[in-house]
Amino acid sequence: MAAAAMCSVVMSLSRINQRLGVLTLNPVHKGAAYSKGVSVRGRRGGPPSSRPRREAGPPRWEKMTPDQDWTAVYPTAAAFKPSAVPLPIRMGYPVERGVPPAKEGNLELIKIPNFLHLTPAAIKKHCEALRLFCTEWPSALDSDAHCEEHFPIQLESRDYVFAGPSLRNPQARVVTLRVKLSSLNLDDHARKKMIKLVGERYCKKSDTLTLTADRCPLRKQNKDYAFYLLTVLYHESWKTEAWEQEKTVEDMEEYSWEDSPSQRNVLDTLLRMRTLGDSADAAVDTDSVRKELLASSEVQEYAASVSRLKNEGESESSVLQYREAVKKVLRL
Amino acid sequence: MLWKVYCALSPTACGVTLFLCWICQITVTDEPDVLYQKVEVLVKGHDRAVLDSYEFFTTMAAKELGINISKVEEPKKKIERLTLLKSVHIHKKHRVQYEMRTHYRNFEFLRLTGSTARVFLEYLQRNLPEGVAMEVTKTEIEKVPEHILEPLWNSIPEKEQSSQ
Repeated sequence: MAAAAMCSVVMSLSRINQRLGVLTLNPVHKGAAYSKGVSVRGRRGGPPSSRPRREAGPPRWEKMTPDQDWTAVYPTAAAFKPSAVPLPIRMGYPVERGVPPAKEGNLELIKIPNFLHLTPAAIKKHCEALRLFCTEWPSALDSDAHCEEHFPIQLESRDYVFAGPSLRNPQARVVTLRVKLSSLNLDDHARKKMIKLVGERYCKKSDTLTLTADRCPLRKQNKDYAFYLLTVLYHESWKTEAWEQEKTVEDMEEYSWEDSPSQRNVLDTLLRMRTLGDSADAAVDTDSVRKELLASSEVQEYAASVSRLKNEGESESSVLQYREAVKKVLRL
Repeated sequence: MLWKVYCALSPTACGVTLFLCWICQITVTDEPDVLYQKVEVLVKGHDRAVLDSYEFFTTMAAKELGINISKVEEPKKKIERLTLLKSVHIHKKHRVQYEMRTHYRNFEFLRLTGSTARVFLEYLQRNLPEGVAMEVTKTEIEKVPEHILEPLWNSIPEKEQSSQ
């Protein structure tokens, strides 16, 4: 704008000069609207330019009032401008017998990221505008237990923000699915088969199945694959194959007292104790006697204590319980 | 029901200030909103003071938006040191040692909706200072899919069980 005006003025002047027959003095460069005070390119040692250099005025912070709108001074992230920040900041290693250097021309202050654009007033303004796009959390899901009850499946994924030769992080595609088996519709056989199928991915203490999917290149694909795995596992565990009939005692997950050597031994011992005690003429009907012994409370207690020892391991209380049960059974 | 809230933002020519120049249109869709039980943000930087300021900014922004901050932790800094030869050629006894210090800050936010998480995380990430990296771990909660509520063959009894 200024350049065009200058040029039109100059052109009119040159036309006037031509009419008057006066040669134009200096070739004027188009667009030379800036002050040419110090640009002495090609005019070294020559006379100083007629146009004087514009002096720098007082720094901006002198005109600032304490109640100004700071968000207008630093609306976005910008480098530190010593003339625009009214604070007497000093930063850097102190010179000998001195203080840290002042803010004018201080490279340390320019290098470090500043948060001048994120003052509390600015954050409040931003959040006022952002609040329109936020939605409220449903009030019914106010605790982890409620979330677990209605939404049992948890999907974990990661995002990365960093600067480097490449912006992508290959770990961003990994998806981890966690679900408690108690929240799935599984019966006893299905649950045991599921635990055997997944192996190490099941944690007994927290009853959680963890499936990690990272074989696909996209996160969405890995999520779909994790759900597919869960579906397949679920249906396979409900099926009963022909070879599952051959499950032996070693394959059982828990110890069951029925049909175990412990039951046989106890019943044999008690039978022999009885036959020794009774008179020799009674024709003992072993089956009914066995059933009667099984039904008795001492044997049931003994069965419970043995199962507890085998399943939960040895602890002081379980061993004591076993001791009491044995004393009752053998009537010591 | 929660609906997903999208914002169609069109920046004008003058600048990038969110509240002044952008023309925002809020669209509400019928798609149900995603629910995040936990969003963990880990920030890493070389300067502890920068992370302190960022922590102040994050906590204030979360409070303003009504997001539940459960904990703000500072894991211990890690220093990676390496020893190199000082000279280009020989002088094996003279070495120089460099170290890189990485400071950490961990924020944990609980119970965010998908729209809120998207808006909040974008706000945090746009204002991430230079030289600071961020890792976000989102834990989403979902219902059990319909096809796993009971085995397929129970619901489709007439279909032959050909595939095993």
